[in-house]
Amino acid sequence: MRTTRIKNKVILLISMLLFLTGCWDQREVELSAYVVAIGIDKSETDEGSIRLTYLISNPEAGIQAQGSASDEPPRETITFEVDDFLTATNLANTVVAKEVTYDLLNVIIVSEELARDDRFIRWMYDATKGEDIRRNAKLLVSKENAATFIQNTQPSIETRPHQYFNLIFERGNEIGTLTVSDLLTFFRKTEADSSLFLSFYGSTEKPERPKQGEDQDRFKAGEFYYEGETNTSQFAGSAIFKEGKMIGALTAEQTRLSYLLNDTMEARDIYTTLPDPFNEDYQLGIKLNKEGKLDMQMDLKRETPTIDVTVPLKVDVLTNHSMAEYPRNPENREKLKKTFKNRFEKKFEKLITKTQDEFKGDPFAWSLHARKHFLTIPEYEKFDWMKTYPEMDISVSVDVRLGTFGRQGEVPDMEKLRED
Amino acid sequence: MIGKFLRKAYKSVPPYSEESSKEDIKQKEQDIGKKLQKNTQTFQSIYSYPDNQDVKIRELHIGGLNKKATVIFISTITDTNIIEQHIIRPLIENSAESKSIKDIVSVQTVATESQIKKILSKINSGNAALLIDGEEQAQIFNVSSFEGRGVEKSQNESLVKGPKEAFNEMVFTNISLIRKKIKNENLVVESTTASVRSKNEVYMVYVKDLANDKLVDNVRNRIKSLNTDVLQNLGLLEQRIEERPRSVFPTILYTERPDRAASFAEDGYIVLLMDNSPDALILPATFWSFYHSSEDHYLRFLYGNFTRMLRIAAMFITLFSSAIYISIVTFHAEMIPPDLLLAIAASREKVPFPAAIEIIIMEIAFELIREAGLRVPSPIGPTIGIVGALILGQAAVQANIVSPIVVIVVALGGLSSFAIADISMNFAIRLCRFLLVLSAAFFGIYGMAALFTIGLFYLVSIKSFGVPYLSPLSPKYISSGDTVFRRLLRNEFYRPGYLKPKDMKKQ
Repeated sequence: MRTTRIKNKVILLISMLLFLTGCWDQREVELSAYVVAIGIDKSETDEGSIRLTYLISNPEAGIQAQGSASDEPPRETITFEVDDFLTATNLANTVVAKEVTYDLLNVIIVSEELARDDRFIRWMYDATKGEDIRRNAKLLVSKENAATFIQNTQPSIETRPHQYFNLIFERGNEIGTLTVSDLLTFFRKTEADSSLFLSFYGSTEKPERPKQGEDQDRFKAGEFYYEGETNTSQFAGSAIFKEGKMIGALTAEQTRLSYLLNDTMEARDIYTTLPDPFNEDYQLGIKLNKEGKLDMQMDLKRETPTIDVTVPLKVDVLTNHSMAEYPRNPENREKLKKTFKNRFEKKFEKLITKTQDEFKGDPFAWSLHARKHFLTIPEYEKFDWMKTYPEMDISVSVDVRLGTFGRQGEVPDMEKLRED
Repeated sequence: MIGKFLRKAYKSVPPYSEESSKEDIKQKEQDIGKKLQKNTQTFQSIYSYPDNQDVKIRELHIGGLNKKATVIFISTITDTNIIEQHIIRPLIENSAESKSIKDIVSVQTVATESQIKKILSKINSGNAALLIDGEEQAQIFNVSSFEGRGVEKSQNESLVKGPKEAFNEMVFTNISLIRKKIKNENLVVESTTASVRSKNEVYMVYVKDLANDKLVDNVRNRIKSLNTDVLQNLGLLEQRIEERPRSVFPTILYTERPDRAASFAEDGYIVLLMDNSPDALILPATFWSFYHSSEDHYLRFLYGNFTRMLRIAAMFITLFSSAIYISIVTFHAEMIPPDLLLAIAASREKVPFPAAIEIIIMEIAFELIREAGLRVPSPIGPTIGIVGALILGQAAVQANIVSPIVVIVVALGGLSSFAIADISMNFAIRLCRFLLVLSAAFFGIYGMAALFTIGLFYLVSIKSFGVPYLSPLSPKYISSGDTVFRRLLRNEFYRPGYLKPKDMKKQ
């Protein structure tokens, strides 16, 4: 009798303990304001602070469900001066009613001006401290102010902001015009101090008139001319970071080339154009695929270390405006192959020279290939990949394999066609 | 002082004096005497004749032997035609002087008893007793005929492929249904009296050369040691003989399918049958026997395993759907994909309750519909469905009492719970679901995982008549490997090793 009473009391106490200790970090979903993107700009007044922009997503936008349908706008933005973006959540509550959370934080947008500043990295490391910031959040450098960029990015179809960013980044990754630019990679490459980090590059500016040029993807964000009624933001090319500081930018074409030179990244079915060797007036539309891994021959023991890279490429020819005969004419094919080989080798060489001379660092993660040539880590560290890379002797060769010539390979003979 | 008063008021029970039945008992212990008149009077007084309407006492004169005699029987549980045609008439019309009673009457079985108590119990179970003047023994004729329904389709464990017949309330029909499936002289039907007053018989059915002797003895002793006045049916017996009456999980399998009972008996299990129970108890039972259905084996290998897969998925959905919803919307919002998170947030925007309360409201509403639907008289049945679906689904969402996603979550969990056919396991899973909902409301996924782990510990610790609950999965035993999935029939070589059957190999 007595023991059961004591037992009952103990059970009661323990269950009360559960009630009292539980729920400590409980937070109902509908009571949070979800920041999808933050923009960071240089403060105009204070050296030690930043101008922060929140892009807050409205969950109710576009919902058709019973009892929750409404015609509220899909987003709201606020911009204000803060010392860092972690404590800023409380400051934002002066204006925003709900608890501000970074649970859905998808993109960190930094203005080029701040990214090129030495002190930029100091604020970036706040992102490693915030508990709800994910390492797969994307880093985007905007040509103009981040606040302006966020203001102007108002897609008219994909109205939910997180969805728009996700889709456009994913697509850019697939076709190689954008790199893989998440926080994890940023911190990893910055701390490894052996290669350059490429981030997304975006802009809402628009050129006055179309650019005259030979190759169609030789542009960065903000340089692509288009007409129509749509959103003004563009995403193309990449910003280059060395030791946590932006030092330059690559065009969309260069970004794609760097994909082909990088074994850790993969882009498939890159569509682009090259001058037609049979008629200089036209461009050949081609589809590029890297076949397998790079073949890297390194000799790092020499005074001037040498690297011989072979890039295996498969090229499908999609358009043929010169109407040259390929499927039945091996000579034509040989000529085509040779042209491709020369073109690509030249392009690769140009890019590599640029990284060696201008950026003084390697964005292709080649240090991974180099590491196996060293027996110990100290040996590798002593070699100092970042320092040595600009002096290296690098030669590129391209191994071209022609794929298909479109669904129908043959084209009619122009002369016969126009006979009468 | 008030406390003392209250305690006194509630604790003290007014004394109650029972009537002594010592004399009755003493009377019944005696043997019958030689005088017919005295014997007849004894039985008349015991049966409160003639107040007791269906007790018939027929006095007659046996021709030829020239003796007075009395036939006593209860007309509602005997076949009066047989009594008339094959007992009374031959006795009256007899002319031979030296024939024994056995040779005069023409009923199937004839026995003799002399103790009053035993004669009474025979009469009570549908026999007719013949008392003859000058004889100290009563002739007992088996003429029982109880009313009951015929063999019908099984209702609670219905299936598409396989036998459809089900047990009914008459135990001999049930035994016959099992014998129909096991035509073997080793099938033993042993009966034990389990209750003192009503003398309810429990029939133990097992295959003598398979079932482990220790197990049989254990079960027999447990039934014999019950000291209860009445034990009407198997549902009550189950609660009397199980090891942990307070446990969430059932440890004795309850089935209404004779084919299932037979196949368990053929694996070395023990089947218990009783009058008034349209089902059988099978013991020992493991977790898997509740999870399986007989159709799993009747269907072809792939189809059977597909239903097994569905069932285990249904089990987990029932357990976890509501709990996962609560924990991710209150603790782990970052876990869900952004679109879903925003959709949930949007649908919860105008709901006045926290997620946990919302779910509990809907769960209770669902359980209410289910319980009410079960108890409702069948002519009104369909209305319950309409009212339930309309009010709870549609109106509650429109009124912003619950969010549409919660309706989906609860409905999915509720529907899945119907896939677990066994009623005991069904209750166990549903109760566990509420526990998981609570733990999720307090501690999120962490709480759920902790409770699930504790639950697993508990499952492993339970035993049913000495057999670990999760065997043969854990601990491992030689068996046919029929646990979550089943094997090809030709690969199911062994009987379950945890039963220690006398013959291990099946084929």
